[in-house]
Amino acid sequence: MTRTLIAESQLRRGRGRLVYGLLLAGVLVGFTLIFIGPLYWMVTGALKSGTEIAQTPPTLFPTDPQPQNYADAWSRLNLAKLLFNTFYYALGALLFQLVLDTAAAYALSKLRPRFGNAILGLMLATLMIPAMVLIIPQYVTVIDLPLVHLSLLDSPFAIWLPAVANAFNIFLLKRFFDSIPEDLMSAAVMDGATPLRTLWSIVLPISRPILGVVSIFAVTAVWKDFLWPKLVMPSPETRTVSVGIYAFSGGTPMNIVVAAAVIAAVPTVVFFLIFQKSIVSGLTAGGLKE
Amino acid sequence: MSAPQNRRVAALALVAGLGLSLAACSTKSDNSSDASGKVTITVDCQPVGAQQELLRDWNADVAEFQKLHPNITIKSVSVGEQCNNPPDFTARLQGGTVTDVFYGYMTDLDQVLDSGQAMEITEYVTKDTIPTWDSLDAGAKAAFSDGGKVYGVPTKNYSMGLVYNKNLFQQAGLDPKNPPKTWAEVRTAAKRIAALGNGIAGYSDYSAANTGGWHFTAELYSQGGRLVSEDGKKADFNNPMGRQVLQNLKDMRYGDDSMGAKQLLQWPDLLTNAAAGKVGMFIGAPDATTAIVTQFQGKYQDWAMGPMPGQDGPAKATLGGGEGYFVKKGLSPEQVRAGLMWLAYEKLTPGKGQFDYVRAKPENQPVGLPQPQLFTVGSDAYRQDLDLRKANANVNVEDFAAFENNPVPVRFEPPNAQAIYAVLDSAMSAVLTDPNANVDALLKTAEDKVNGLLATR
Amino acid sequence: MATITAPRPDVQSARPPISARRRRGRNDLTGYAFLAGAVFCFALFSWYPMVRGVVMSFQRTRRGVTTWVGWDNYSRIVHDPSFWTAWKNTLHFTVLALILGYAVPFFVAILLNELRHAKGYLRALVYLPVMLPPASALFLFKYYAYDPSDAGLFNAVLKLLHLPTSQWMQSSTATMPAMVIASTWMNMGGAVLIYLAALQNIPGELYEAAELDGAGIWRRIVTVTIPQTRLILSLMAMLQIVATMQLFIEPLILANGAGTQDSATSVAYLIYQHGFFQNDLNGAAALGVIMLIVLAGFSAVYVRLSARQD
Repeated sequence: MTRTLIAESQLRRGRGRLVYGLLLAGVLVGFTLIFIGPLYWMVTGALKSGTEIAQTPPTLFPTDPQPQNYADAWSRLNLAKLLFNTFYYALGALLFQLVLDTAAAYALSKLRPRFGNAILGLMLATLMIPAMVLIIPQYVTVIDLPLVHLSLLDSPFAIWLPAVANAFNIFLLKRFFDSIPEDLMSAAVMDGATPLRTLWSIVLPISRPILGVVSIFAVTAVWKDFLWPKLVMPSPETRTVSVGIYAFSGGTPMNIVVAAAVIAAVPTVVFFLIFQKSIVSGLTAGGLKE
Repeated sequence: MSAPQNRRVAALALVAGLGLSLAACSTKSDNSSDASGKVTITVDCQPVGAQQELLRDWNADVAEFQKLHPNITIKSVSVGEQCNNPPDFTARLQGGTVTDVFYGYMTDLDQVLDSGQAMEITEYVTKDTIPTWDSLDAGAKAAFSDGGKVYGVPTKNYSMGLVYNKNLFQQAGLDPKNPPKTWAEVRTAAKRIAALGNGIAGYSDYSAANTGGWHFTAELYSQGGRLVSEDGKKADFNNPMGRQVLQNLKDMRYGDDSMGAKQLLQWPDLLTNAAAGKVGMFIGAPDATTAIVTQFQGKYQDWAMGPMPGQDGPAKATLGGGEGYFVKKGLSPEQVRAGLMWLAYEKLTPGKGQFDYVRAKPENQPVGLPQPQLFTVGSDAYRQDLDLRKANANVNVEDFAAFENNPVPVRFEPPNAQAIYAVLDSAMSAVLTDPNANVDALLKTAEDKVNGLLATR
Repeated sequence: MATITAPRPDVQSARPPISARRRRGRNDLTGYAFLAGAVFCFALFSWYPMVRGVVMSFQRTRRGVTTWVGWDNYSRIVHDPSFWTAWKNTLHFTVLALILGYAVPFFVAILLNELRHAKGYLRALVYLPVMLPPASALFLFKYYAYDPSDAGLFNAVLKLLHLPTSQWMQSSTATMPAMVIASTWMNMGGAVLIYLAALQNIPGELYEAAELDGAGIWRRIVTVTIPQTRLILSLMAMLQIVATMQLFIEPLILANGAGTQDSATSVAYLIYQHGFFQNDLNGAAALGVIMLIVLAGFSAVYVRLSARQD
């Protein structure tokens, strides 16, 4: 353990120890309140009746829990369909990104074709352009693809294909591939392995951690996206769960809306709890090397 | 969503179906076909699943229509709770994914024509496709025409009045048979209703998502004002009439505290509160009561309607509008005819579709509302519809008598309405959320903004 | 950004790398084949829309016919009554978000880095809201936290502490801070984790030395922590500015769009209004181009500043 701002020894001594203990307790309680508190409020609030929610001061526990709210949210918003749609879009986006972005990063890192760096530069340049700037022209492109004049509106490809144009993921993958020693690669080439074979049996197996990180980014990006799916999935049958809840929020009692919001949050929270370690380490571990 | 492959399939047999349809409408027709061919058209604005009864009715109508016209297949598409939710509507229009026959507001004509998605249907709208065409209200038809060319078929029209909750009137000791006629009376009534407590707003109004500007316009019309000058180039609301609109609201909100604490309402928010019995009065059209029943789980029995209030007497004018259907460019003549015949059947035939009161009544939808009033007064269709409406009415005719018997001149929305509404939302939200709002300053700012906006359109 | 490096395999071979040049031709072809899918997507959904956006901003479609209109769209957009309000609000949000959403995660990271217990729990806790769909989190804030009556969560807490309550989204002055609070709560987890990683790379000897010089905790933060993380701090500032300039879903859900007296209108919301409410996709495209230019200006300043520091 390396030394941090405050020396280990200082924390062990009498006063330091007391301060540390108090601080730790304060942080534990405070952070739990700040980060879990609202979630608790959300889950229990959706269990309250309309009159209880308008009560002053608000009640800490629902006095007369109405699990019916959750059932209503499920059926009235057709959440099963909305969740399925979102899951389907997320899964497709993941597969497209894993296949196409990995292939691209591999090409840029190991095959290094001519103009590869120029292409990489063009890709990285898109990182500088915020999504909002491109939303209108992207949208008119999707509704009327150049040359073929196809409309991708309400088609999952309107989410899957733009997801592939993710320079950050390609960058992450490429940097990881760059760190794979050349020796390993040339050994495979000596054995007559094709690039595809090398990618499949040498590169990918040792790239599992970065593939995990990219997968997590891909899935959560789709799950959390709002404006894009709102624009390209205007039909009730094709909506994602976030857009669906928003569409229903007018005209649906607020407890039902919040119940739906809780249900919509469950998959990502569960996903987080399962992959917590890799998510957190994906963001932090390995450090930041410039 | 359209079926181009079917476009080429000529369907003279359609005319045979036409004969049946017209027979069903008890109108004579020429029946002159022998070829066979199928026509498929897609139609939107099918009710969503949550509106169980409306959906069942719609599907039954589709089945019945297809039985009458075996060569026509109707594919229904649901586009959401609000058939025209502006962003989604724009998306479909721009994306060309509108259905063959698609829903729109009267005020959408410009946008629809700009998108190049609508087809001119002047030659198709005849007695053969829409038997009641000649009886349709001329103003409603004009709203779907441009330069003498017909682009759409009106299927509903409305004008606004004062919608009020009879029960709350009673509880507050007000006479439910005698709704307020002036804004001063509205204010008095609102104060009494709000005094019931329980989070009830005596009067409620919009201030978000462009609906605030929409209602500002309606209330301005009631004062005798207009939103923009005759030539459409200048704002025309920074005057005593515009001031009065905002002052009335401010007085109710902060003078009397009779509008409830939660503001920044948009369309569904107010109706949700209304359906829950938390709103005494609001400005709306008769079909607001239908929405309260079919979308917001309320009861029409609670509601009655008076004319639009005026400042010192009857309102000088009220805001009107309507909805209809457009036909997508590129359909075959057979498809166009099939689409129009479907519209005629579902939307424009006394006793059928939206006018099937016998069916609507037991479903607890309000029957006997004074609107839509699509047929010219005195025409056959008008009389048939009126008779059926009366015979099956479940709403108390008296509840809407004050509205019906005190007609107010109707004015439509100006061009660029949505952009202007966005500006006026700000003024509406100011008087409803800021006790220190300065009405004069708000109007001046809004005027400058609208003038700047109109100068570049 | 954060990276993971491949484990070093225990290949001890000292074989010389095969000359790349010899395989060039074949590799080029294979390389392009591997690149094709991603390049296609970039071309169609990133590069082409860039050009298309600029082209659109000089065109106008009326009655299904598209014509060149010069600067008309820009003129209309700049004269839009909400144009300057939207920029003012967006910059206001950006500045508040920098103060709150930028400083807070940094100090939270410093704090967490000092704690020797419950590390995993606290890290997971801070990151949890990031995983919620933004619509879910914002409805929580809209309906429960920012309820303007005393039944609302925040007002109840304020009352408990004998502090004045707020009208939140119904107050033109509270709207912005309320949106920043919600946004910070939702998004700070990512920044905290990244700062934590950066903090762990600071050599302990530097603190040691500073302490020997008699520097207190605050001085050590100023003289060691901040300089040592400067690179990542400035990078995150840039990313944060780009992100906050795109403020959209917070006004849309929390403020029903423009908010009271236009206090929530953002540039992104204005793009949406023009494109999808006002039948003006071309004007919206022009606003997008303006936004791009402004952000490019920011980046230029950033690059220049960081170049000077190095």
